[in-house]
Amino acid sequence: MANFISTNLISSRSELNKTHLRIFVVAILALALVVPQANSFDIKDFENKIVERTLENGLRIIVLERRDAPVASLVTYANVGSSDDPKGFTGMAHVFEHMAFKGDQEIGTNNYAKEKIAIEAEEEAFLAWRSERNKGSLADSVKLVNLEKTFRSAQDECDQYVVTNELGNIIEREGFVNLNAFTSMDQTCYLYNFPQNKLELAIMLEAARFSNPVLREYHKEVDVVKEERRMRIESSGIGKLIEEWLSASFKAHPYGISGVGHMSDLGNYSREEATAFFKKYYVPNNLCLIVVGDVNAKDVFKFAEKYFGDLPKGDPIELIHTVEPEQLGERRVVVEDPAQPFWLVGYHVPNSQHADKPALDALVDYLGNGRTSLLYKKLVKETKKAVNVGALTGFPGNKYPGMAAVYAVNAKDVSNAEVEELVLGEIEKLKEAPLPEEEMEKIRARAKASFINQLESRVGMAIQLGSYEMIAGDWRELFRELDRINSVTGDDIQRVAKKYFTRKNRTIAVIETVDS
Amino acid sequence: MIYREMTRKGIIVKTIMRLSGVVAITALSILTLPCAALADQGRVEELKFPRLNKLQVPEVDKIELDNGIRLYIVEDHSLPLFNISIRIAAGSYLNPAEKVGLAGLTGQVLRTGGTSKWSGDEIDERLESVGATAETSIGLVSGNAFGGGLIEYSDLVLETLSEILRNPSFDQEKIDLAKTQTRAGIARRNDNPMQLASSEFSKIIYGKESPYARQTEYATIDAVTRADLIEFHKKYIHPSNLQIAVWGDFKKNDIIKDLKKYFGDWKATGETAPPPPEVDYDWSSGVHYAPKTDVNQSNIYIGHIGGLVTDEDYPTRIVMNNIFGGGFGSRLFNNVRSREGLAYATGGRFDANVTYPGRFFGFASTKSETTLKAIRAVKKQMESMITEPPTEAEMSRSIDGYLNSFVFKFDTRSEVVNRMVTYDAYGIPADFLNQIKDKVEKVTPEQVVEQAKKDFQLDKLHFLVVGNGADFDGSLEELGLPVDTVDISIPSPESDSDIENTPENIEKGRALLLAAAKATGGVDSYKKIKSYSRSGNLTMSMGPQLMTMSATIMVELPDKQVVTILTPGGEMKIVFDGSQGWQTMGGKTNPLPETEAQSSKKDMARSLIAIFGSLDNSEYTPVYGGSGEESGHSVEYVYLIDEAGDELIKLALDATTMIPVSSHFFGTTMAGPAAIDLVYGDFTEVDGIKIPFKESKSTGGKQFQELTVSEMKLNVNVPADAFAKP
Repeated sequence: MANFISTNLISSRSELNKTHLRIFVVAILALALVVPQANSFDIKDFENKIVERTLENGLRIIVLERRDAPVASLVTYANVGSSDDPKGFTGMAHVFEHMAFKGDQEIGTNNYAKEKIAIEAEEEAFLAWRSERNKGSLADSVKLVNLEKTFRSAQDECDQYVVTNELGNIIEREGFVNLNAFTSMDQTCYLYNFPQNKLELAIMLEAARFSNPVLREYHKEVDVVKEERRMRIESSGIGKLIEEWLSASFKAHPYGISGVGHMSDLGNYSREEATAFFKKYYVPNNLCLIVVGDVNAKDVFKFAEKYFGDLPKGDPIELIHTVEPEQLGERRVVVEDPAQPFWLVGYHVPNSQHADKPALDALVDYLGNGRTSLLYKKLVKETKKAVNVGALTGFPGNKYPGMAAVYAVNAKDVSNAEVEELVLGEIEKLKEAPLPEEEMEKIRARAKASFINQLESRVGMAIQLGSYEMIAGDWRELFRELDRINSVTGDDIQRVAKKYFTRKNRTIAVIETVDS
Repeated sequence: MIYREMTRKGIIVKTIMRLSGVVAITALSILTLPCAALADQGRVEELKFPRLNKLQVPEVDKIELDNGIRLYIVEDHSLPLFNISIRIAAGSYLNPAEKVGLAGLTGQVLRTGGTSKWSGDEIDERLESVGATAETSIGLVSGNAFGGGLIEYSDLVLETLSEILRNPSFDQEKIDLAKTQTRAGIARRNDNPMQLASSEFSKIIYGKESPYARQTEYATIDAVTRADLIEFHKKYIHPSNLQIAVWGDFKKNDIIKDLKKYFGDWKATGETAPPPPEVDYDWSSGVHYAPKTDVNQSNIYIGHIGGLVTDEDYPTRIVMNNIFGGGFGSRLFNNVRSREGLAYATGGRFDANVTYPGRFFGFASTKSETTLKAIRAVKKQMESMITEPPTEAEMSRSIDGYLNSFVFKFDTRSEVVNRMVTYDAYGIPADFLNQIKDKVEKVTPEQVVEQAKKDFQLDKLHFLVVGNGADFDGSLEELGLPVDTVDISIPSPESDSDIENTPENIEKGRALLLAAAKATGGVDSYKKIKSYSRSGNLTMSMGPQLMTMSATIMVELPDKQVVTILTPGGEMKIVFDGSQGWQTMGGKTNPLPETEAQSSKKDMARSLIAIFGSLDNSEYTPVYGGSGEESGHSVEYVYLIDEAGDELIKLALDATTMIPVSSHFFGTTMAGPAAIDLVYGDFTEVDGIKIPFKESKSTGGKQFQELTVSEMKLNVNVPADAFAKP
């Protein structure tokens, strides 16, 4: 149904306008057909409200008009994540996410011409300092002190031209809320909610920061990211555990490499490397703009064309070709930490495009979702060995084969060995027989409820649409998920449990509590 | 109604603000840096914003049932969903001091513990098989029950919540489960340093025992009984304490009928809870250091008491807070984070609550090595609020930002209806938010400075640092205030209350210990022991693996000890010299934390040799503790308690032979403090004394350590330097 919307490339402004008109009329007609009535909800109708456009330079735009309040959410979905970090520069995608809030040649500076010179001097000082530092034990200690001094004063020199966080200031002043961004292994998303009359500003600011960003306060922001690492990983038992667990699970694929980056890499970035990263990945053909809310799709397309239209198309981005080899046997990770015990297992599973994905989704739902799940009943209610359990799939990403993970939060004074025996015992039971039809029905009912629930959040919908568009190649795939879950059988559950949840294919990671 | 007014005003307000901003900057401030002129004027300012589309105000119907339940109803046909949220006017502030955790437990087991109609597990099954939810909880000042699902299950959700609130059965097994979960939470509360810092700061501001800061402890959760839950429910969960909000894809009249069906005939009576207590703030200042050696980042809180939402100054404080520490362009964010790169997480505000004063604080988490630098940086921004008037850009970001984003206070049905419930609960006028908005619009830079002068008592600040002091960039004493150390160790559960400290029991306890000493060699032989050394194998369970290492334990009575363990990574020595402890391995020496040093001191006092050798002059009093059965033996129990009445150990003696069978005490395991059971075995005679050559320790029925002695020597020559710290 939604195919009536043109996905053709647009070659000129006038043609664009004609297309707009057509889309607009068709969209109005489509909306007229789906006036909401109590208890007559059809997911298909919802899907039909979504329109899309691709600019000539490859930028994709998806719009879901929603009139219940005069607000909208904008998500800029960059199809680049931590798994794209260059070797030796772990954390790069995430650092760039931070840098995207620093402005451009107009926003964020009081004198760009002078700032540019100061930044170049700072960078030169940084490179000199870094190259001495990276001589390791052969570095000249006196030189090092002086080089750092030079770098620090070059940094101070830059400061006078900076209007700190001006981009953020504009966004906040104009009433945008929930300004944020996140970087995962697969993606980098920039999000905010805005009053619907500021659509043009929203798109203009997005274009500004991705057209020609200035990497101002660059090394300081890297310091900020280091603090983020200390907070999320180094001062958190579970943070450390997950980092160790991923690195044990993936020896070849970058899913195993720290997304926030290693401390020594973080201190080592230059602007040149960051710019190269930006130029490669932040090209319009690797971006998707999604707007959900009280806007007219034609306006979104118009402003996108106006502000993003001149961006040159980049080279196509290829997927990472590295394939994680089959595991040769069970792997185990122990993190000794003063934190309380925690137990976690991961099984390698295919990516989200694979035919087994729906069955795996259903399986983890049955295993660890809610108080009636297999593991909650056994570990929490029955034996009280854990105080919570959970299961998920597609971790740490969906673009490439990732993991299905199961975890348990041990009750006080309960060892990891006890938890492990119980969890693995329950998993084995899944392999013995097909899941009964009555359990399958519950899984389907829950999937339907959670699917409809997720439609409520504007920003949540925007991220989902972007994610399906960029990873699955079509946002419509989001609306096929329910059909896919509905077609999973009890035999499928048994089959995928046997196929993937094997000893050989798993990595177990635990926190063993020690005194600090 | 109020919303229409807001949208109309939106445009005008914006224009006025621009004008007043210009006036403000010329009249007031030469202090502003010349470079603060907006660089975006060329682009952003050229944009003309169309009028904001009209907000269709979600209409809330308010109805009061005959039994006093207030209903708030909003139709919402955008998705086929149903939602319900019930406010309960009771909170954990009502907990008796010795039963902290009672309200929380009640809130949890209301839902999990079943009703007269269904067990908790049946409720789980009914809801989850259709993807619906119903949950209950009781927080600090109010409780909440909420539920939801697809609209076709609204009846199921309503009936379930009605049953849960009206006829809960508080099944004992589910109480036990909730207590297990609470205990795990207590054990884990030091695992998140940021959360830990916030809790500790609250204790400093409100006082450790205050309902606004106190924490559930093992002892207080243990003290809660099923009868307490039943009483709490009876007292506070009844129609006149409830407000029910529903929103979703229903027809108003239908849902009223349903709500009446499930809640209308509820006639229960109970009490109106007394209001939350007032805070009697003691204006003092100080530096508080909570040592946490396993982190490399300090969590810093600086501040004092804050204010109330109903304070006249509240609107000015909104503007002030936005400039000081709220959001992306605040002074704390700009300076501590972006300019200095000192923190990822930083912020602050003069916080306000409805019923009790909030906290005023500046916060930052920074690497250990920049702790003092970050403290000064946060403090400096507090000072700047008094000395540097807000710039035009700051005022605009704060006030225009507030006005322009005002629409987001109405963009979902749930926030509109739940806000109305809250306002009604506290008697706040329905147009309160608009009153605030009108006042926020008019705040001037001068008022912000005056407010900061009035609110920020910078000579009466408390500084809290949770972190690893060894790596700080200086001493906290540099802050010029007395430094106290905050004990974040988690208090162990209190000793069994079945100790009856009567003269008869003391006499009997002493007689039993004498008999036990006699049965194993005689008090005189024990008294002659000044030192001893045990060598053998120490087996420890490390997760699924068992690890056996050879170990030697040398003790000089009463309280010095050297434990030498041959680990796969080399020899490790753990030394306690009577006052302090340390650990040496691979040439590196690290001090033992105070709690652990104290624990090894207690371990020595718990040894049979120490107990029997000091019967005449012990600092512990023996108390008879009744008889029982253990591993097939009939046993007599003797407690040893200290002057404070705290239990050192509970010793089980074979009722016939008087030989020790086992002991029970609260000690340290790899997983932290725990109740430990120690079983003695393989008694072997050494110089006329029968000594257990096997000691196995377990906790919660799981063995975690076993010592098998191969050689035991009494009165060994302790080398002169055995207790010298390297």
